[in-house]
Amino acid sequence: MRKALQVLVVEDNAGDARLLQEMFSKEKPGSFQLTHLLRMSEALLHLEKGGVDIILLDMGLPDGHGLDTVRRVQAVAPGVPVIVLTGLDDEKLAAEAMKEGAQDYLIKGQIESRALPRALRHAIERHRMQSETDLIRTNQLQFKDNFLSHVSHELRSPLNAIYQFVTILLDKLVGDLNQEQHDYLDIVLRNVKQLQAMIEDLLEVTRGEGGKLTIELQNTSVDEAIVYAVNTLQGAAAAKGITLSTQIAGELPLVCADPTRVRQILIILLDNAIKFTPADGAVKVIARVLKEDPNQLLLQVSDTGRGIAEGMVEQIFERLFQASDPAQAGRQGLGLGLHICKELVTRQGGKIWAESAPGQGAVLSVTLPVFSMRNLLAPSMKTGGTAGPLMLLVAQIEAPAGWLSDAARAEHSQGARELLRRCLHSEQDVLLPKMGSSGAAELFFVVVAADSAGCESLTKRVRQQFDERELEQKAGLVLSTSCHSVETAQRNMGGPKGAPFEWVAAKFQTLVNEELSSRMTANAH
Amino acid sequence: MPTKKILLVDDDPDVRLAMHVRLKANGYETCFASDALSSVTEARKQQPDVIILDLGLPGGDGFLVIERLKRHPSLAVIPIIVVSARDVSGNKERAIKAGAKIYLQKPVDNNELLANIRQTLGEPEQPGDADITGNWKLFA
Repeated sequence: MRKALQVLVVEDNAGDARLLQEMFSKEKPGSFQLTHLLRMSEALLHLEKGGVDIILLDMGLPDGHGLDTVRRVQAVAPGVPVIVLTGLDDEKLAAEAMKEGAQDYLIKGQIESRALPRALRHAIERHRMQSETDLIRTNQLQFKDNFLSHVSHELRSPLNAIYQFVTILLDKLVGDLNQEQHDYLDIVLRNVKQLQAMIEDLLEVTRGEGGKLTIELQNTSVDEAIVYAVNTLQGAAAAKGITLSTQIAGELPLVCADPTRVRQILIILLDNAIKFTPADGAVKVIARVLKEDPNQLLLQVSDTGRGIAEGMVEQIFERLFQASDPAQAGRQGLGLGLHICKELVTRQGGKIWAESAPGQGAVLSVTLPVFSMRNLLAPSMKTGGTAGPLMLLVAQIEAPAGWLSDAARAEHSQGARELLRRCLHSEQDVLLPKMGSSGAAELFFVVVAADSAGCESLTKRVRQQFDERELEQKAGLVLSTSCHSVETAQRNMGGPKGAPFEWVAAKFQTLVNEELSSRMTANAH
Repeated sequence: MPTKKILLVDDDPDVRLAMHVRLKANGYETCFASDALSSVTEARKQQPDVIILDLGLPGGDGFLVIERLKRHPSLAVIPIIVVSARDVSGNKERAIKAGAKIYLQKPVDNNELLANIRQTLGEPEQPGDADITGNWKLFA
């Protein structure tokens, strides 16, 4: 015999509740077990105990109303299907409830006693199937990501062996090569690098899905990134007879982004444009401040290729997207480039989109937020503008013996940044992003919402942390700090009353710039 | 100055050979081990100046090797450079805590490896050392 279905009725109207009870009483004994409660609070307590198969929920309770009732019930008992009970004129609300996850709705006064048990059983069945589908989908995605990650890791080792021995030959470590041998090995190396890039793309995507993609925001020059990307791809463009040019509008402001990632974005976009542009075509990089929003910098890569097929301008950013006619693109790659691009741009607070008409080339546009001291300082200004004192703490770590490698430098810099972040105890202190470095020194700037005594105690904390991690003994790093008062800024506040915020931000920017340039000259000597 | 000797511990013979050729071309002598147990035996026999150690090894992983090496007073002083394909997160801290000096993630750029070996041995830097970011590494 089937177990009785445990039905929880949450309904404060005695008449409605009695009607439902009567309907259930006509069913075969033992097929339904009814629990009737009047309030949300009681229902939630009951649900916590478990054992309920389905909930009949009134959306107008003394202690719960509307969609909120559905959300609260589902929060406590996510696995139990819900049928909402509504009045005749509330069908709209019922539809909303179904969007929230309710399985069905019944209109009070129109419930047919013979249809009720069927509605309940269907709701339970539908709910079960839905949960199963969701679970399968989650598992599939997880499996795919694990699979991709595993495969790419496994592909790396043999490929690395090929790379190692090809470079051993090319570097003539085991004897001279004739020109032809050298040329052929160069082709092998080029293809190995292509494969390596594809594998890294795959890993990047699985990292992106797992939220492991690292992005270190700092004030970044887009000009430098453009020069770098254009230099990197100039050869590839020339080989296809494509002109690669840049059009940069005046002096560009710095953006708040990760320079490595900006270069990566540009390289992907240029590589793509070159791939889809025929011989004698042109690829152009355009950079300017966005007219509609001066807080955004616009980067565009345009080409004279065959354009993007109609209706595809959104799809090209999807994972594993491939152009429909691969013959024209030559070797295509995995269809991950633009997907990675989108991930990178979005994670840095920007947007990416494509515009194209078939046969007339394509324009890929990216926006990145302009670096703004004002926006960065916003947390420090929360408490009534500039009323409280603000100090600038400058911390410098230096490797007097020189940094071992770029990687070591980046790592210690990252470590120092985390160390500083841990020392800030107030939500009002702001650790500014990396503003630049010079020679053997890495500089960090903290806007401290405190007076000089507060700044001193923060300095002490930083020093303590630094000593605890024995960075001096182990890594040979030297920490030095200094505090700068912005008091003068506040005393002079009489003048620019209208925008003290802008004024303080500008003052800090000047302080930071002065500090940077003085260290730069100090380290140059 | 006598030639410095480097013990290469990796279970992949191709990796060992490639490293050997590179290191020999840069004036180093090499010796090898391919599993956890023999790496300790080999270290005792050869008394290398540096040990380059992979983490995934048959017969016990690289952490075990570090632990064993640190137990012998004569071997504990030999600097260890871990070179592993495993993710930095977690593994690096663990390796350094166990006593490794440097953690590098595979694939390692040749110049970066050489720079780290030179630094570990207290040798002067070479012109190629600083230039450690090849183009393909951009995507790493």
